Amino acid sequence: MSIEISNIQFGYYEDGKNTIDGANAVFAREKVTVLTGKSGCGKSTLLYLAAGIYPSNAGFLRGGSVRVEGEDPAAMTPPVRCRKVGMMFQNPDLQFCMDTVRNELIFTAENIAVDPAEIPARLEAALAFAEIEYLENRRLNTLSGGEKQKVMLACLYLLDPAWMLLDEAFANVDDASAKQILGKLLQLHEDKGTGLLVVDHRLEHWWDIADEICLMEDGKIAKTICPREEGAKASLQAAGVQVGRDPYPGIVSLRTGILEEGTACMPDTDVPALTLSHLSVSHEKGHPVLTDINATFYQGGIYAIVGQSGCGKSSLFGALSGLYKYEGGALLGGAGSTGSGQVEIRRMKRADFGRLGFVTQSPQDQFLGGTVRQEVMAAFKKEPDAEARSEQILRHIGLWKYRDVSPYLLSQGQQRRLGVAALMAYPCEVLVCDEPTYAQDRENTIAIMESLCRGAAQRGATMLFSTHDRQLAEDYADKIYTLEGGTLHE
Amino acid sequence: MSNINPSCKLVGLIVLSFALAFCHHPVLNLGIFAVCVLLILFSDANKKAFFIPMIPVVILAVGLFFTGYRFTNAASDVVNMEVLHVGSSQIWNGLIFASRALVYAGIGLMFALTTDRIRMVRSFHKQLHVPQVFAYGLLAAWGLLPQMMLEYKRTRMAFRARGIRVLPFSPSLLVTLIVKSTRWSEELSIAMESKGFAAQSQRTMFEPEHVKAGDWIFLAVTCVILPVIAVLFFR
Repeated sequence: MSIEISNIQFGYYEDGKNTIDGANAVFAREKVTVLTGKSGCGKSTLLYLAAGIYPSNAGFLRGGSVRVEGEDPAAMTPPVRCRKVGMMFQNPDLQFCMDTVRNELIFTAENIAVDPAEIPARLEAALAFAEIEYLENRRLNTLSGGEKQKVMLACLYLLDPAWMLLDEAFANVDDASAKQILGKLLQLHEDKGTGLLVVDHRLEHWWDIADEICLMEDGKIAKTICPREEGAKASLQAAGVQVGRDPYPGIVSLRTGILEEGTACMPDTDVPALTLSHLSVSHEKGHPVLTDINATFYQGGIYAIVGQSGCGKSSLFGALSGLYKYEGGALLGGAGSTGSGQVEIRRMKRADFGRLGFVTQSPQDQFLGGTVRQEVMAAFKKEPDAEARSEQILRHIGLWKYRDVSPYLLSQGQQRRLGVAALMAYPCEVLVCDEPTYAQDRENTIAIMESLCRGAAQRGATMLFSTHDRQLAEDYADKIYTLEGGTLHE
Repeated sequence: MSNINPSCKLVGLIVLSFALAFCHHPVLNLGIFAVCVLLILFSDANKKAFFIPMIPVVILAVGLFFTGYRFTNAASDVVNMEVLHVGSSQIWNGLIFASRALVYAGIGLMFALTTDRIRMVRSFHKQLHVPQVFAYGLLAAWGLLPQMMLEYKRTRMAFRARGIRVLPFSPSLLVTLIVKSTRWSEELSIAMESKGFAAQSQRTMFEPEHVKAGDWIFLAVTCVILPVIAVLFFR
């Protein structure tokens, strides 16, 4: 009744180094186990090996073995394997292949050859378990991240696997939905004895529940900690793992530091940089996601926007970055601002494009292709010192040795650093960041927030960012706005 | 129309299209086009999705009408008022051209707008024996389309934010899209596999698509009766 991993040697490239290098572990079904560690330590890779997804889909297993309940998951056919291990993935958008919730559940039941006469009852039970009966006939592409994960939970309930493996499943889910899903998973664990093996770099959801926390470092399981042990928290924090709502260094100390260097501009609360008045956005006619947004963001200020998933954060940021059409006003610049006058965002001309910078949830969305160096140079490639300047920037963010590599081949953290650096090469007045720290570990989160805030402070730019992490909002923003019911509240 | 088995509908309409290719009679073409329009209008299909694609089709039909009208005579004739003189054979020839555009658009749109894609895939798998990996792969790819559209816009905005102007369908936009689509399809296939889907395995089928009496009648009309009428009366 366990998942056994013995002396695994696994790498993604034939001649590259091993991502998992001699990992050994036994995960018992009666325990809730969390695998944690910094980005790139190999925790997701280990989970995919345990789920039998690797090496058949990617990479090379050079040694060792994986056994789920005594059998090799990679040797099982998918219909057999999914009764042993069910997966919940990080990206809720790429888990479904049908159009509606009902059809997806039917597809899942058909895969494991459920008798058609039994399907309606099984479907009803799965929807009731996940408490999503009201979503049955909704189209999957209209659901929020939290709702999609609840649908995935219903699918897993229908498959009824011996183990459930979660790969950062709450990265794109608001706290309320995460708590609800977590409660349901625990219910399965207690009632049916379903094993839970979880990968997460943030332990706040798991701290009270986990029986074991395995800390991974450099492709190995460095230590196994019981959260109830004395000093458990401290030893994890020392390894750079975010245990609960640990405070971040924050904007205050950062601003003081930059001020001492003499390069910062303090926020100026008299000069508006971005004014939103009666802004509304609808994706479907007659169903506005945002109804009446009114707010003024002042020059040099840092603002956080928080809210439940599905509240319209991405719609607001999408409207500001030109992705969605909006009604009402979004005025860039203000009387006395440093920019070249006021302009309505939807009427921006080419000369104004650089005034509004944006950082997307996935750094890949920003890449223009080519190489790492071209990515940074895109801003100033016609200037005479372009080569030298790009070298300076890349050395500063530690990516100089990857200068001729495609940005898509970098790790998540490196991609994020490159994205921010490329953007900082522009003299933007307002910086709009949609979940800039999405799925990043604590170390990367701090590095990203610092580079964004530093960049903004040095040029006196206004910064707006959205986040699911309340602590991050409290520590880095001058003012926090909550998006609820289609409007923005302070 | 949406109750007809999708495989029967496809086979019937393909056979009918072939039969029409050998007939040059505007009355037949326009008659079938009118039937298609009526079937679409009286179905629960999205009417806007019918009228918008019809705009370029009508323009094309008008263009073809005048081409047929003008080139009834030898191609080397000079265009003058005499050539533009209204003659019934010229109008007839123009109508043959124009009605063809309309009838093929009508048949195509009727299939597209009155067929549920999930039912279509289930039916292709059961009746036409299309391998399930293709059938469900097609559905999954369809689900990716809205995301690809959004991604395309997002990439354009990323270029715009850097002050770089790109033309629609410029290679640099498409390269980014291809890289992402490849990654998405990989992730999606892993997710499908983890839900127990496999190319070779035995699946059950909830609400399988059957060929009913109405479908046989549809096939008889489109594959036998209409082609015979066309050949006998409209050649």
